[in-house]
Parts: sequence; structure tokens; C-alpha cells
Amino acid sequence: MNESELEQSYFGSKLRRNESILGILLILPLVLWMIFAIVIPLISAIKLSFQDVGMIGSKGNLIGFENYRHVLTDPNFWKSFGRSLIWVISNAVIQTVVAFISAVILMQKFHLRSLARVWIILSWIVPTVVVIIIWRWMLGTSGGIVNYLLVSLGVLSTPVGFFSTANSAFISIVLINSWRWFPLMTVILLAGMEGIPQELYEAASIDGATGWQQFLRITFPMLRPVLYVLGLIGTLWSINVFDIIWLATGGGPSNATMTLPVYIYNMAFKGYRLSRASAASIIMGIILLVFVIVYDRINKPADAD
Amino acid sequence: MYKKLFKVIALVMMASLVLAACAPATSTATQAPAATKAPAATKAPAATEAPTSAEPVTIMIWHMEQPAYRVARIQELIDEFNAANPGIVVSQEPQSWGDIYTKAPAAVAAGNGPDLLFAIPDFTPIMRATDAVQPVEDFVNEMDVAHKYMPAAIAPYNYDGHIWAIPLWSMSHNLWYSKSAFEKAGVTPPVTWDEWLAAAKKLTADGQYGIGLPGNKNLYTDQTTYDFMVNNGAEEIYNSDGTLRFDNAQTVEALDFYSKLFKYSPPDSTGWAWGEAEACLASKTCAMVLQFTVISTFDSQSGSDANDLGVIAIPHNSSQSQSNTIAYSNAVMVLTADKAKQEAAYKFLRFIMEPKNYGRFLTMEPGLYLPVTEDGSVADSYWNDAMVVKYKSQIETMVENSKNGMLFGFTNGNTFQSISQISAQNLIAQTLQKILVDKEPAAQAVAEGQKLMEESITK
Repeated sequence: MNESELEQSYFGSKLRRNESILGILLILPLVLWMIFAIVIPLISAIKLSFQDVGMIGSKGNLIGFENYRHVLTDPNFWKSFGRSLIWVISNAVIQTVVAFISAVILMQKFHLRSLARVWIILSWIVPTVVVIIIWRWMLGTSGGIVNYLLVSLGVLSTPVGFFSTANSAFISIVLINSWRWFPLMTVILLAGMEGIPQELYEAASIDGATGWQQFLRITFPMLRPVLYVLGLIGTLWSINVFDIIWLATGGGPSNATMTLPVYIYNMAFKGYRLSRASAASIIMGIILLVFVIVYDRINKPADAD
Repeated sequence: MYKKLFKVIALVMMASLVLAACAPATSTATQAPAATKAPAATKAPAATEAPTSAEPVTIMIWHMEQPAYRVARIQELIDEFNAANPGIVVSQEPQSWGDIYTKAPAAVAAGNGPDLLFAIPDFTPIMRATDAVQPVEDFVNEMDVAHKYMPAAIAPYNYDGHIWAIPLWSMSHNLWYSKSAFEKAGVTPPVTWDEWLAAAKKLTADGQYGIGLPGNKNLYTDQTTYDFMVNNGAEEIYNSDGTLRFDNAQTVEALDFYSKLFKYSPPDSTGWAWGEAEACLASKTCAMVLQFTVISTFDSQSGSDANDLGVIAIPHNSSQSQSNTIAYSNAVMVLTADKAKQEAAYKFLRFIMEPKNYGRFLTMEPGLYLPVTEDGSVADSYWNDAMVVKYKSQIETMVENSKNGMLFGFTNGNTFQSISQISAQNLIAQTLQKILVDKEPAAQAVAEGQKLMEESITK
């Protein structure tokens, strides 16, 4: 190695070292945030799940797996889990269908398309509490516009309570949640559609493919990576929804809309069984981890790596 | 890379879920939204530190009197007190009954709790579990000498050798009705359950509901359900040895009758809280409601004359000799251990309990808050309030009805502290929902309700 090569090696290594330090400094805030906001509380939650802490701030004793045993043998946990599954599936189906239709429409060239693309996001940016106040008012029996219209049009003879029976309450909050979240899905699908080369459609048209065939053979396959991400994140987001359910129904009537997050919240903060709620949330986390692994194995696009 | 990225995202989201659902004491405390947003006034010296002469003693009050006009009245009194006491700064932060059972213990655990916290009897045992609640018998005795407390106001806070809160007012449920709706339907005010059911049936016509009854799983429904229980001899939820006796024939009959009357209530009343009931009566959608008071809402929203607002005692089963009602003695707990802060808090409460101020304090919601001191009950500041003058006959009826007040867990001189667990989870209301929503027979629902209560009070 001559002198020039030695010098180059020296400065090269120094540069690489400086770059490494810069890299560490850049990711340090995020790593620290994750440690303080996620890792430490997660460890605390796991520790808590093996104790018998009731109220926040009170002391507890180690009781082994007793909380896990109790949660896993609690019929309400499994009922809530079942409702969470129905919640996720029904939201996924409705949101996917509506978002696809909206995205396809917004792909077309029409007057005020740009405005429509911006305004569709409106329901997603409105704060949840406002969304729920509006919907509760609209669906109310006293002065609610939906009941008024249905009665005026002769569809109903008397106003109905949309949140008063188990089924109608569940359907109502699924529709409200889907209404709130489908715009985000639409925008993501729209972005995916914009990335599909136009030449593919032109070639398909020349070959005589119909619009439906083009959707099935070009749009859908090309959107698979996007759908993979949406399916994964959307499911985790959806099962995690607490605010809409809590504000609209509080998990009622008679626990009919009590999904897992509501079950856990009730146990921790209404029943004052913080440790047991921790165990329930750890179990829920494990279930979701299994879901992620299975989902990744089954749905991973070929070029995902 | 792609695969790893999504795995990381998924793991972070799951971790967030676990944390959001159930964070441990330390993290929850730091995440408690309003509790951590305590204004500068709460940034007082630690409990053991004595404030320096340059720093005023700060007192943060948490109450659950959310309507703007109540907040304004309390602020008016606070401003007067602060102006007259330069060394003390009192401030208020309105909270909600809906989440105070959750929020207050979390805030105290995080060290961000208030110095004074308003309470009802079944909330006090929950806060006592945080070890923050200070005994206040010396101050209560002082107020008793000065203003003469009504004994029933103190009793629910007097146990384990101490008094745990300072009574501020009492309130009780009444049956409020529209006189014009009754006249139009040819209905007279009911006294017994049979008359009540017949009246509700007759009043349900032309888009009007005979009665507005809640069926939600909340405190309001706990209260209205107990109204039915106390009017059928089922006021005792506990046996004298502390075991539960909720599952009895009188309770079953009371809840069964509730479900019969509920058929004449708006269909969405399974989601009601107090406000919806008041609005229903004020908008003339409901002919009757059970409430502490509806005066403010009726006066501002109904467009009707004060004489159209009727109030009577809650009807009772014909097997009972008189009408009873749920009644609360509302109070304030002292949560600060700092002596200087305690003295400042007591000074503020002395100011509030003075007859010239006490009436103004009570009329923040005219008619809702009834005096708990003898001099307060005759105070000009109370009876000369414009709204009290306008609705004087209704308020006099309320005072009369409140004499037969009872509260679950605090009957016949007993105090069963585990009622706080039952109340916090609204298990009385949940039992009722089994009948109203799940259509279970009342006997089965009440038996299940007792089982839920037994589970809730065993650790």
C-alpha cells in the first residue's frame, strides 16, 4: 500500500466513522422515544400482569399466571374477542368496497375532480368526538334528521333508536367507523392506482379487454402490495379502535358493542383491576402478533422483500 | 427491507395497542390528559414544602358541574375570594362524572391531583384507596357549630373513625312533568305505580312519549332504577352483615315495573344521560321525566311559562305507604396533605358556607342543589335568587320530596364501602339493561346482577 492509498484509507475510514456517528445521532431521538414511550411501559405492563394491582398507584403482590387464567376463562373476554373479529371483518369489507369504488371514480376525468379528491378526506380529518356528536344527533329520535326523513318518506311509522338494540347499535357504529376511515383508504388506493402505467390499460384496450377485465387483470394485481399494507395496518388499526365505540355507545347497550379494547378499558378503569386488564392486553397483543405472522406468510407479495 | 419495515410497524402498533389499553401506573399517570394539563395554579410546592412569602398558596378545585353557567357562578365566587385573599389563588377545573372515577385516582397517583375534589358518598371510598383523602372532622364540626349541618348530610361520609368529606349540598330525584300535556290528555298526577303506568300509556300519543326513562349503563340509570327500588321496599342492597341482598322479590318487581314503563320512553333512551332527559321534557317530546331538576333547561329551552312545569314525588307501589327517592349528600374532599394548602382550602370553604355566599353557590343550578345547613336553608341569598323566586313552588316541593331520600349502600345509618365498586361499574344499570335490551326475565337479570356485584366486590 503506497502513501496515497494509506491516506485514502485513513480518510475513508474517518469519513465512514463520522457517517456512523451522524447516523446514530439522527436515529437516537426516535430510539429514545421508542424506549421511553413503548419499551419501558410495555415491560411495566408485562410485570403488572403478574401482580394483583387494582387501582392505579396502588401496590400489588406477585400472583403468577392467575390474571391470565382468569382472563382466558372469562366468557366476556371471548365474547369481546368475537365482537372484535366481526368488527374488523365488517369494517374491512365495507371500507374496502367503498374505498375501491371511490378511488375508481376519482381516477376518472371529470369537472371538479381535484376538489373532490381533497374534500373526500374531510370525514377523516374531523375529530372523532365531533363525528360522534354529529352522528348521535342525526340518528337521535328527538329531532334527528335520519329518523325524520325515514318517517317522512314512509319508510318507518315511528322513529327508531339506532343505538337501542344490540344489532342496530353494532351496525350503526360499524357504518360510522367505515364512514370515518374509508377516505384514508381511498387516498392510499388512489395513490397506488396513479402508479400503474397507463400503457398497460392501452395495450389491454387494444386486445379488447373490458373495463371489468382491466380492473381484475391489471388494477387489482398491481395494487396487491398496497392492499397487503392496508390489510395489515388496517386490521391493527381497526381492532384498536376505542374512541368511536366508547363515545357512541360506551360498549353498550348491554355490552353489545364491547370489543376487546373496551373490555380492557372497563376492566382497568371501571372495575379497578389494572393487573387483570394488563394480562388481557398482553394476550390481545400476542393474538395480534400471531395474526401478523400468519398474514405475512399468506399475503406477502412476491416482490415484498 | 420491505418485509422488515412492515414487521416493525406492526410490532409498534401492537405495542401501542397494549399500552393504550392498559398502561402501568407510571405511564398511565403521565398520559392522563387533563390531569397532566393542570394549570400553573397546581404547580404548587410539594406537600412537605412550606410556601415562601412571595408565592401565593394555590388551590385547585375539581368539580363535576360542567354546564357553563355553573362554571361561571363558581368562578364568580372564586374571583371574589381571590380578590379578598391576596395570598391565596383558587382555581377550578370542571370534570365529568363520566370519567372522574377513572381520572381522579390516576391524577392523584401521578401527583397531579386537585387539592379539593367534589364527591358523592360512593365516590369517596374509591378516592380513599389512594390514601390522599384527608380526615376533615375538625372542619366539619366547626361548620356545624357555625351553620348547623343537617345530620343526614354528614352521615354517609362518617366511617372508620373519621369524616372524609365536607357536605356542600343535597339533591334528590323528583318526577317532573308538563302540566299542559297532562291536562290535554286528561291525566292527573300519579301517586301509585298503577296510576303512573296508566298515565304514561295515555300520554304516549301524537309523537309524544309518555315518559322519558334512561336505559343506559351509567350513573343516571343507576339512580332512576334505585328510584323504583326505594318505592317498592327494596332500598337495602346489603344485609346488615355486608353480604348482598340485591336479589330479592321487591327488586325483581321494581325492575320489572321499570321495563313496563320503559315501553313509553323514546327508543333511543338506552343511550341517555341526564341532559337528554331534560331536553326531552323541555322539547315536549316527553311528558314526564325523573330528574334532580329540570328548571334551567325548562326555563331556557321550553318556551313555556313556569306554571307549566309540574313536579311531584315519585309514585310508589301500592304496597308502600309513601313515596321515596334517591338522594345524595354532595360534598368536597380535601386531597392535599400540605398544611398551608389545607388552611387556604378551609378558608375558601368557610367563605362558601357563609349564608350570604352559600345561596349564590347553590343557585348555580337553581333548584338542583338543596341546602345542608340550617342557616343556609333560610338564607336570603338562596331564596331571593331570580330563578328560585320564579320556580319557588317547584323548589319547595323538591325540598319536601327530599325528606324521604335514600342512597344505595348508605341506608339506615350503615355505610358499605364496597358500594363504590358496584357504583363505578354501574352494575345496577347493567342489570336493568339485561331486561330492557337482552329481554331477560327480571328474576333472571336480578340474579345475574347480584352475581356481578359479588364478583366486583371480591378482589
